[in-house]
Amino acid sequence: MTTLTQRAPFSEFKQLATPLVLFLLVFLGFPAIVNLVYSVSDVTFENLRHPQVSGFANFASVWNDASFWQASWFSLRFGLLTALLECALGLFLAIFLSPLIERRSWLMAILMLPLMVAPALVGLMYRLVLHEFVGPVPYYLWTWFGASFSFLGPASAFWTLIVVETLQWTPFALLLFYMAYQAIPKEIVEASAMDGARYRHRLWYIELPLMAPTIVVALLIRFIDGFRVFDNVYVLTGSGPGGSTASLSIYIYEAFFKQGAIGKAVAASVILFVVSFAVLYGLNYLANRRKGAIR
Amino acid sequence: MIFAKMRKGGLLAVAIASLLAGPAFAKVTVLGWPGGPEETALRAAADAYNAKADVSAENKVELLFFNRDGFWDKLQADLAAGSKAFDANLLATYSIGRYAPFMEPVELSEEAKDVYGDSVLTTMQYEGKQYGVPTDLSLHFMYYRKDLIDALLKDDAAKAKFAEISEKHLGKKLEPKNPDEWTWDDYAATALYFTQAVNPDSPTRYGTVLQLKNLLFNMMVFQSLPRAYGGNWMDADGKITVSSDAYRKGLETYKLLYDAGATPRDSLSYEFAEANAAYASGQVAAMVQWNAAASDLTSKEKSPAVAETTATMAPPGGPEGRFTHIHGLGFGLNKNAENKEGAKAFIKWLSSKEAALIYAKNSGAPALTAEVVKEVAAERPDLVQLGEFASKYGYVMNGGTSAKALSVYELQAKEFTGYWSGQQSLDDTLKNTEKGMAELLK
Repeated sequence: MTTLTQRAPFSEFKQLATPLVLFLLVFLGFPAIVNLVYSVSDVTFENLRHPQVSGFANFASVWNDASFWQASWFSLRFGLLTALLECALGLFLAIFLSPLIERRSWLMAILMLPLMVAPALVGLMYRLVLHEFVGPVPYYLWTWFGASFSFLGPASAFWTLIVVETLQWTPFALLLFYMAYQAIPKEIVEASAMDGARYRHRLWYIELPLMAPTIVVALLIRFIDGFRVFDNVYVLTGSGPGGSTASLSIYIYEAFFKQGAIGKAVAASVILFVVSFAVLYGLNYLANRRKGAIR
Repeated sequence: MIFAKMRKGGLLAVAIASLLAGPAFAKVTVLGWPGGPEETALRAAADAYNAKADVSAENKVELLFFNRDGFWDKLQADLAAGSKAFDANLLATYSIGRYAPFMEPVELSEEAKDVYGDSVLTTMQYEGKQYGVPTDLSLHFMYYRKDLIDALLKDDAAKAKFAEISEKHLGKKLEPKNPDEWTWDDYAATALYFTQAVNPDSPTRYGTVLQLKNLLFNMMVFQSLPRAYGGNWMDADGKITVSSDAYRKGLETYKLLYDAGATPRDSLSYEFAEANAAYASGQVAAMVQWNAAASDLTSKEKSPAVAETTATMAPPGGPEGRFTHIHGLGFGLNKNAENKEGAKAFIKWLSSKEAALIYAKNSGAPALTAEVVKEVAAERPDLVQLGEFASKYGYVMNGGTSAKALSVYELQAKEFTGYWSGQQSLDDTLKNTEKGMAELLK
């Protein structure tokens, strides 16, 4: 069997790849270079076209800014917790609702509805739902218990945001896991049943290991999405009292537009890029090593 | 053949669309604030201007509007890029310094001073130069429940309870007063009295509602408190003066009210809309809020629980007087305007008495002097109070129109809400704010 590389001469590859390379150079390469220049420049809206190089002052400013670390810690916690909760809940629902969804596939459409709502709109919706004088939740809490619970106060805002994010994105995990669960060959499951494996053993030793690649991918996607969260958090709490609910995306947005600190905002983006790249590279390296060990 | 026909048709359609979309006759393009009363008022003013016999065809005005969301950021990007898409553009008090490098000072009509008064004109000034004509003004009212206050003033037992509460929480015995005579301590005592967590017999759940979200606009609402105690951002020499007894007093008063439960626990996520909803529920006795809320809160359809019993007053006073933070929207001149002379002429006319009255009669909110507002008082009674409060109590903080004014409000929002939510001490809050402001306003 011949492969594509064997058949296609190099010149054809060049022709095919040129548009993509040009696209990447123009739409990713150019902004990346501009960002790198801005990150080491004293730049404002007035001198966007002729920034003055100022060394690594912007990086130092970000590094020494307590708000940057506060936002990083928020993003990390938020990303990890929401990814874990969404995947755990999605996995549970995928496995236990599977027989039901198999028979009534329209249920899946209903379960997917939260994904259809824009995150900013979700934030807006919960602003109403949780408002003491407008929202149904505080209304019933007051009517039944005479209690006025602060959902978006400093002590509870983080957890409220976690719940809001989890409720919206669990269906995504559910969808992935349901597809993976359905893809498990029936004969393996049946064979294990014939061999006397109990349900929990089948789940633990057969189904979950077969779903593991999907679980890892789902965790990664949800972590990335949670880590870079912006819309619903910004609409619900802004950056929170004292910046307590500022994610890294919010930090960068506010530095850029609200404070006009363009160099600082771009420097924070560059740091974020470098760290993300290092983490992803590291994960990729570990995954490859594991593959090698298995072979 | 078919393609040729289609091409012809397409070209014709493009030509027609260009005629409809492009400035067919107008040569002065003005970028306005979309989707609200400001747009209605500007349209009326532009129509009146275009109808004038002495305005030539090439100087007629055409209006441009884009979405409110991110308006100021987009405008900043446009101006910085040297956009020629508009000759005159919207301007806000707190953003003048930011846009000034891309704009030119303007000359107002000779009547402008008599129409608006000095304090209102300062809302469009930067470094002593006039950058715009102040078409709409925003300031703060004290909204209060007249029925509740009247009942309190007549009830001796309630007065005794009021004194007891004020002594316990504020350290001094106070008597209930008419809101027109309130100091910030009177307001705080009244808020505490009407709070069920403090006074279980209170007819309302909360005495007040504070907008404590980490948001720059909420800081504007707050400023009038420290200002009444002599607070300012900086002195005449440019030294930052925010670490002062005045700011200490203001921040502590808000914290006291929040900790005592005089404002909803979720106030730390409240802004304009949430505060209005709380007040309109009938469970709040008084609040400081933007004048823009007046029409909703006194509308029987929109706020049936409070419309008939709500009255408005200027915010409370302090040892240094009574103040209401003012900021305005207006129109200034784009440095890269293609029709600079035409734009200048329109802006000059917009500052005249004739234009101000047209603007006022068509939903705008200009702060007019007592003499001028008389002419629209029958149609716009709300403008009488607006003009009166603006000229008597209006102020702009030193540095409030500087290039970094928005950033100062942002900084204060972060630091002050950090204190109110109990995340940092008052000393740290003032120290951080002063340090940040010194950096921003240097």
